[in-house]
Amino acid sequence: MKLELRKIHIKDLAMGNEMSVKNGTLTIDKEAIIEVLKDDVNVKDVKIDIAKPGDKTRIIPVKDVIEPRVKIEGEGNGFPGVSTAVTQAGSGKVNILDGAAVVTIGDIVGFQEGVVDMWGEGAKWTPFSKTYNIVIDISVIDGLDPHTHEATVRMAGLKAAELIGQAGKDVEPDEVKTYEMGSIFEEAEKYPNLPKVAYVEMLISQGLLHDGYIYGVNSQLILPTLLHPNEELDGAVISGNCVAACDKITTYQHQNNSSILDLYEMHGKEINFLGVILTPELTTLAGKFRTCDYTAKLCKSLGAEGVIVSEEGYGNPDSDLLMICKRLEESGIKTVLITDECSGRDGMSQPLADTTKEAIAVISTGNVSHVVKLDKADKVLGNQAAIATLAGGWEGSIDENGVLSCELNAVIGATSEIGYHNLTVELY
Amino acid sequence: MSTQIISNNPTVKEEFQNVVFVEGGFLDVLIKVRDLVYTGHELINHPLGASIRIMFSPYRSIMVGDKTTSNNQYFMETIENSIINYKKHMEVRLVDNDNNEDYRYIDKDLLMSAIREHEMIKNLN
Amino acid sequence: MKFKAIYYVNQFFGQIGGEDKAGMKPMFKEEAIGPAMGFNTLIKEEGEVVGTIICGDNYFNENKEESMKFIMDIVKKHNPDVLIAGPAFNAGRYGMACAGVGSEVNEELGIPVVTGMYIENPGLDAVNGTAYVVSVPDSAVGMRDALPKMAKLAIKLAKGEEMGKPEVEGYLPQGKRLTVFSDKRGSKRAVEMLIKRFKNEEFKTEMPMPVFDTVEPADAIKDLSKATIALVTSGGIVPTGNPDRIQSASAQKWGKYNVADIDALTGNAYCTIHGGYDPVYANAVPDRVAPLDLLKKNEKDGVIGKVFDYFYTTTGTGTSVGNAITFGKEIGQELKEAGVDGVIVTST
Repeated sequence: MKLELRKIHIKDLAMGNEMSVKNGTLTIDKEAIIEVLKDDVNVKDVKIDIAKPGDKTRIIPVKDVIEPRVKIEGEGNGFPGVSTAVTQAGSGKVNILDGAAVVTIGDIVGFQEGVVDMWGEGAKWTPFSKTYNIVIDISVIDGLDPHTHEATVRMAGLKAAELIGQAGKDVEPDEVKTYEMGSIFEEAEKYPNLPKVAYVEMLISQGLLHDGYIYGVNSQLILPTLLHPNEELDGAVISGNCVAACDKITTYQHQNNSSILDLYEMHGKEINFLGVILTPELTTLAGKFRTCDYTAKLCKSLGAEGVIVSEEGYGNPDSDLLMICKRLEESGIKTVLITDECSGRDGMSQPLADTTKEAIAVISTGNVSHVVKLDKADKVLGNQAAIATLAGGWEGSIDENGVLSCELNAVIGATSEIGYHNLTVELY
Repeated sequence: MSTQIISNNPTVKEEFQNVVFVEGGFLDVLIKVRDLVYTGHELINHPLGASIRIMFSPYRSIMVGDKTTSNNQYFMETIENSIINYKKHMEVRLVDNDNNEDYRYIDKDLLMSAIREHEMIKNLN
Repeated sequence: MKFKAIYYVNQFFGQIGGEDKAGMKPMFKEEAIGPAMGFNTLIKEEGEVVGTIICGDNYFNENKEESMKFIMDIVKKHNPDVLIAGPAFNAGRYGMACAGVGSEVNEELGIPVVTGMYIENPGLDAVNGTAYVVSVPDSAVGMRDALPKMAKLAIKLAKGEEMGKPEVEGYLPQGKRLTVFSDKRGSKRAVEMLIKRFKNEEFKTEMPMPVFDTVEPADAIKDLSKATIALVTSGGIVPTGNPDRIQSASAQKWGKYNVADIDALTGNAYCTIHGGYDPVYANAVPDRVAPLDLLKKNEKDGVIGKVFDYFYTTTGTGTSVGNAITFGKEIGQELKEAGVDGVIVTST
C-alpha cells in the first residue's frame, strides 16, 4: 500500500464566504457548514467559533478532535464506513490542512470533561492549543436517546472535517511524505536482518461514551485484528470515546497516530515494522483473557520479535495491558508499554491499577492526577458549568481570582498513551 | 447458570432481574462483590471502569456468576486490587453527586454492554 | 543570619551509654553532642546546631506518644529551620526513631528533615516522603562520609532552595513521581527503548514495577482432626520478664516456649513487649494476640488433632525483611522436622 500525505501548512484561520486556503490562511464558510450538518434531522442547532493559538479562549467539554483532509487521488475520502461509503483505506494521495483541527463540543451527559486552553499554563498541557481550531457546538433535538445523541455529534464532527478539508483540494502542499509498505513477506525479504516489530493498539471498547470504530465497526464486537498502518493514517479508525479526556485517542490522533508514525520512521532503518494490531479493551474478565491471548498469538504468528503496546484509558484496561505484556515476554518477545499513571496528587501512590514483573520497559506519559492551575479565560466555548465538574470534585478548586485547579485527567490529550504528547515522569 | 447483578443503581434495580441491591455507594458495591468472590463466585466483569471519570460515579453495577473452581485466585486479586484502587482515588475527593441521573444512565448502559459481551462468550443454550 | 538546626540522636551517639541505656527518656542539651559536633563544623558558615535531643531507642519505640510530646515541645520552642536525625546506619530501632521524629516534625510543623540510613534499614519505609534520607553504609564507619552529604542537603533546605533530583543531590528517592516535560514525545521514547532492547543496550524504564516476594502455599490439610497445629506470632507475646530479651522493635531474634501443659497464655505468665501497639489489652489477656486458648479448645473438641508443644514468638514492628525471612525459614525448618501439619501465624 502506498499513501502520500501532503501537508498544507495552516498559519491562520478566518471566517468568510468561502472555503479556501490562501497563503496558509484557512477561510471557512460558516453557513455552508451549518447547512450541511443540519441535513441530519437530529441536529437542532449548530454554533461555529474559531479559537487560535494564543487566544485567551477555553474550549470545554471537548468531545472529539478531527483533522480536515481531502483525498485527491485514490479510493475513498473521509472516514470509510462511517461518514462515507465503505472502501479500502490506505492508498492514494491526501491533502491535509496541517495545523487546523475541527473540535466538537456539546455534552451528551453532564459529567463529561475535556478542556483545551489556547493560552497560558493550560496550553502547555494539551497538543491542541497549537492547532487552529474550528469549534463546533452541536445541539440535538429533544427526546433523543443518548446513543443517538452521541452518534449524531460524532457524525457531525466527521462531516464538518470532510467539508472543510475540501478547501485543500487544489492547493499545493508544503510538505509531502510517502508511506509505503508491501506485504509482510515482501518487507521481510527487503530487510532480512532487521528485527520485526508489531504495534498493539488497545482501544476502549466498553459501551456508550467508551467506544471505538474500525471502518464503522464497533470495536467491542471484534477479535484483535491486523491493520496495515496506512489504513489508520487514512481514516479507518475513529473515536467514540467521550470520557478519559487526558488519554483518549481522538480521531485526530488516530489520523496522526504518533506510535505508527515513529515506527514507520524507523522502518527499513532499525526495524521492520510489521503492522498494527487493534485490540479491544473489553469489560468482562473472560473477554479480557480472550483478547489478550489472541493478541499475543497474532504477534507470534507474525513473527514479531518486539512489540510496542499502547493503552487507552485507566482502570480496568491496565489489566489487559499487563496481561498482554506478560504473555509476550514469556514467549520471548520484547515489549515496551506506553501508559499513563495515577500516582495520586503527591505522586506517591502505585502508578498502575495492576502490576506484573514482566513489564520491565515502560514509557510513562504522565500522572493523570498532577494538578495544574488554569487562569481565568476571557472566552469560553462550550459549557461553563462543565468547569465545575472539571475541577475534579474537591473543595476550593476555583480561587478568588477565578484560577482553576484541575487535574491533568481533565485536559485533552495531556497524557496520551499512544505517546502523542511529550510528558514523562521522574522519581524524586 | 445464574448471574447476579450487584448494584446500587436504582435504575438497574427497576429494569433488571437478579439484582442484589446494595444500599450505599460504589465502595459498598465493591465490598459486597468481594464477599461473594471470597465464597467462590465467579467475577464476570471487571469491577472498575475504564476511565477516572467512572471512578467518580456514585453508581456501579457488577455481574457475579455461579460458584466456580477455576480462576478464583485471579478473581480475588482483581476485586481486592479494585478496592485498593478505588480507595486510593476517592479518599481525597468527593463523589460527583451533581450528575446522578447521567451516571445512572451510563452505569446501566455499561452494564448492558457487559451483559451483551457475557452472553456472546457464554453462548447460552 | 545563621539558620538554626536541631539534632536528634539515640543514647549511644548521644554519649549516654550503650544497650543498657536504650530505655532512657528523651532529654535536650543546648549544645552539639556526638555527630552533631562534626555536623556543626560542616555548616558553620551558614548555620548552627542550637541543641541536641537524645532519646533511648527502646524508650522511643515503646513510648512513642510521650517521646514525641517532649520532642515536639522542644522543636516548637526553638523553631529550627531544619531538623537532622541520625544517621542510623542499619540500626533498626534507631532508624524507626529517626523516621518517627522526622515525619511528625515535617508533617505537623512543616520543618524540613534530613537523616541518613542504610538502604535496608526498616526505618526507611516509615519515612514515607517526609524526610530526605542520605544513603549510608551499614555501620558507623560511614559517619565521616555521611555527615558532609547530610550537611549539604540541610543547608539547601534551610535556605529554602529547590531540591533537585535524587541522583544529583545525593539522597535516596522519596518515592514521589513528578510529571515533567520531556524533549521527546512518548512514542519516540518507546521506539528508542525497544531498539535499545534489541541491541542489548542499557535502558531505564520510566515506571519500575514493584517486585513481590511470592511463596508457593503448601497443600491444604486433608484431615484437620488428625493434624498438629503450631502457634506462631509476630505480636511480641513473651513469658513475663522476657527471659530471652527479644527486642520490642526491629527484632534480632525469636523465642520458643513450651506450652504443652497450659491451656492459655494468661496475663500473669505472659505479656507483650511489642513496641507498636497499646499494650494494655494484650497484657491483660495475651491470648488476644496469640489465641492459644482457642487452639487448645479446638484440640479438646476434636476439631484439630493436637496443638504443637512449642509456641514461637518475635516482634514484627520495624523488623527488617531480611530478618523476617531468616526467622521464617528457621522456625519453619523446626516445625517441619517436628512433623507439624499446619501453622496459625498472628500478627498485629
